[in-house]
Amino acid sequence: MPYAGDYTPNELLVVAAARELRDGDLAFVGVGTAGRAFTLAVGIPIASARLAQMTHAPNINIYWGNLLSPDLSRIPPKLTQHHVTTWPCAAQMAHTGDKCDMLARRQFDVCFDSAPQIDRFGNLNITAIGEYRRPKARLIGCLAQTDHFAFVKRPIVLTDLRKRTFVERVDFITSVGYLDGGNSREKAGLDPGGPWRVITDKAVFGFHPETKEMQVLSVHPGVKLEEVLAEMSFRPALPKQIPETEPPTAEQVRLIREQIDPHHILLVA
Amino acid sequence: MQRKLMTMAEAARLVRSGSTIAIGGSIIRRSPAAFVRELIRQHVTDLRILAFPAGFTMDMLAGAGAVKRVEAVYEGLFQFGMAYNFRRGVESGKIEVRDFPETSMIARFRAAAQGVSFLPTDVLLGTGMAAHNPEQIREITCPFTGRKYHAVEAAVADFTVLHGYIGDEFGNVQYPVQRDSDDIDPIMAKAAKRLIVTVEKIVPNEQILRQPNLTYIPHLWVEAIVEAPFGAHPLSCDAYYDEDEEHMYYYQECSKEPGRFKEYADKFIYGTKDHWEYLQKAVTPQRLFQLSVR
Repeated sequence: MPYAGDYTPNELLVVAAARELRDGDLAFVGVGTAGRAFTLAVGIPIASARLAQMTHAPNINIYWGNLLSPDLSRIPPKLTQHHVTTWPCAAQMAHTGDKCDMLARRQFDVCFDSAPQIDRFGNLNITAIGEYRRPKARLIGCLAQTDHFAFVKRPIVLTDLRKRTFVERVDFITSVGYLDGGNSREKAGLDPGGPWRVITDKAVFGFHPETKEMQVLSVHPGVKLEEVLAEMSFRPALPKQIPETEPPTAEQVRLIREQIDPHHILLVA
Repeated sequence: MQRKLMTMAEAARLVRSGSTIAIGGSIIRRSPAAFVRELIRQHVTDLRILAFPAGFTMDMLAGAGAVKRVEAVYEGLFQFGMAYNFRRGVESGKIEVRDFPETSMIARFRAAAQGVSFLPTDVLLGTGMAAHNPEQIREITCPFTGRKYHAVEAAVADFTVLHGYIGDEFGNVQYPVQRDSDDIDPIMAKAAKRLIVTVEKIVPNEQILRQPNLTYIPHLWVEAIVEAPFGAHPLSCDAYYDEDEEHMYYYQECSKEPGRFKEYADKFIYGTKDHWEYLQKAVTPQRLFQLSVR
């Protein structure tokens, strides 16, 4: 399959995320505030789930808002309330408590998260910058991002690589990643698991199997490793060989543009 | 069955300053906006607010200086951005906040609904939320397996305020068949001590009796029911009308600074004597028609 001659950075992220999805997965898609945050939290996850369904993983299900298994071949032209209410789906349970029970029972395989702060050991902060009780900047709380890192098998973080985002230690632990590294996560009483991939606009990261430090898995085409390191406040683990992130194929780009997001409501910013 | 129908002003007068109120809906959907505007007109203040995701209604109260504490899973306006009045309140130390992830906030409302003082959850292990809130989150051990959990305090509110679709004068509130129930209103209703429900329309009791399986809030749980058409505006009420995007963007702009929020509040809240006057100022008949999805 030939690689695409041209593709946007968001299309590369959609393809990189889709590659992490497996046939039969149940994926949790959350909500995102406006603009870029919306694209990262909602747009790219929905597009990647649909792309995976159309290629290697036809039996993926997503749970978005209160929609369980919405028909991703019929993504509505807008995401205003009535389009969401009437989006064909397998189930709309009586309240969100049912979805949270499924989370707590470890029934989700994948979830998508994004954060203004993530640290060396994959802990996330979406709650407060600075002191919790008198923060420099109050953020948005927790949502289910805590639940994701506690209960979901393979959480995927989608966020842009920025020095102020990739910090040595988060100001506040909203979602427990690998805590202080090693086996500290399990010691705190959590299930094994924790963040699986961190997909950014410059590189894809995983976590070292023993130390649990964030490590570079691949660097996007056209990006130098130094540029990646320059956007991080800590030095990630560097395997001996770091491949280039596989670019999208021409067919994947065509599917995204013509079938998945023709109205540009998912990849907005 | 006892008659529970009240006017908006009467129902809002039940709520005293200093109370804990649980507010229903979800961020920008089906939250009792008209009721909250009436609380602000009546200068109810010093409120502790419990919510699942808190959004527009909580932010208006924060802008009016009526909030002392918030306990919720989220504070923001979804695609319309940040809840700036709330943010300023927290950053200046005027509003206290305690955060709970979704599973734990549901456990708190379920505890209240079941009449127990706490429920266990394993979602808070290792988190900052647990570290900063020993008053409401305490470590416990399962007596059967020895596993570590947190006990979370029941979410007991003095008043619970929800916006619903249709109801009768006795307080039976029903779902439409097609709806978006991405919230925990049914759990909050069951957990309530004093429950106030505003609805889009009061319908004859006979209509309720025909399809009792659609009743999600039965009359016995309700203290007051109020008719409030477009009572969630500028938010959406699924199956009835969409969110008023123009108004929401305008609100969000205004909320970025206190002076502009005051202008907004003077025009749409203090400057209107009731919900009907609000609707006259906030929308045109043409706009109502555009927003309506029925």
